[in-house]
Amino acid sequence: MRVRHGEVLLASGFIGIMATLFLALKWAPSVSIDAFASPAAQRIFYWHVPSAWAAFIAFSVLFAGSALWVFKRSPFGWRLHVAGSEASLACGLMAVWSGCVWGAAEWGTPWDWTDVRLNTFGLLTLLALFLVLGRQSQPDGIESRDTFSTFGLYGFVLVPITYIATRFWQIRHPGPVIGGGEDSSLSSEMGLVLLLGAISFTILIAGHMIMSARITEYEQRLERLQNKMDGRI
Amino acid sequence: MEGMTYLAIAYLGMILGLGIWTWTVVTRSRNLQLRIKALENSLGLEEFESDIVATEVSNSE
Repeated sequence: MRVRHGEVLLASGFIGIMATLFLALKWAPSVSIDAFASPAAQRIFYWHVPSAWAAFIAFSVLFAGSALWVFKRSPFGWRLHVAGSEASLACGLMAVWSGCVWGAAEWGTPWDWTDVRLNTFGLLTLLALFLVLGRQSQPDGIESRDTFSTFGLYGFVLVPITYIATRFWQIRHPGPVIGGGEDSSLSSEMGLVLLLGAISFTILIAGHMIMSARITEYEQRLERLQNKMDGRI
Repeated sequence: MEGMTYLAIAYLGMILGLGIWTWTVVTRSRNLQLRIKALENSLGLEEFESDIVATEVSNSE
């Protein structure tokens, strides 16, 4: 029997995310009431941080796929580009949405237009939206692939800017919770739930990208078969 | 307690969205696979090169 890696990863990631959310609501300790205006809302961070992490993985795949298409004309690169852009959009929307829920509870506003990290991450998500919608509205061809891959290639510059934004221009978004110096320590229970969330989201998004690359391959094969039926090949 | 209720609703909404997206991807993959199989059988074909655009590029080079 053929093992379907994509489906196995999707199921494993989904179960892991459900376990993360259960632990986040029932097991992880609450934060200090003095430090947060809305301590209960802080628990959304177990979804927000792993989804942002998965988004960065997806943007990296998008970058690699775009580069492979532009420089090598690799069909595998194009499939990576498609998979990366769809995964980037999904993870970006999850991170933005969960951030807005937290911001509304903690800051009293879902978005702060003066915060660099919020805006660069929002731009990255919009870039992924443009790539997904643009590809669906344009006929597949060398020119359209080159255009979208160029956007995927140069748009990646926003990833390191987003990553360092809270270190250089922190306005409202909290600083790093891991590897950010003395202020970034987490309790061991919190760290464990966050780690489970990060691993689960990574597995899920890997499954989604494998499935997406497979769908792109199927669509191309179907188009070629239809052309053959029409006598064009 | 009210905050936790809102949080649980937000979490459930996101899980539901993620579940729908995952289900859509899996069913689309299976539907495409079935259509390809049916077409290949009707044309009496084995699997062949699938990416037309990449083939065009390599032919022109």
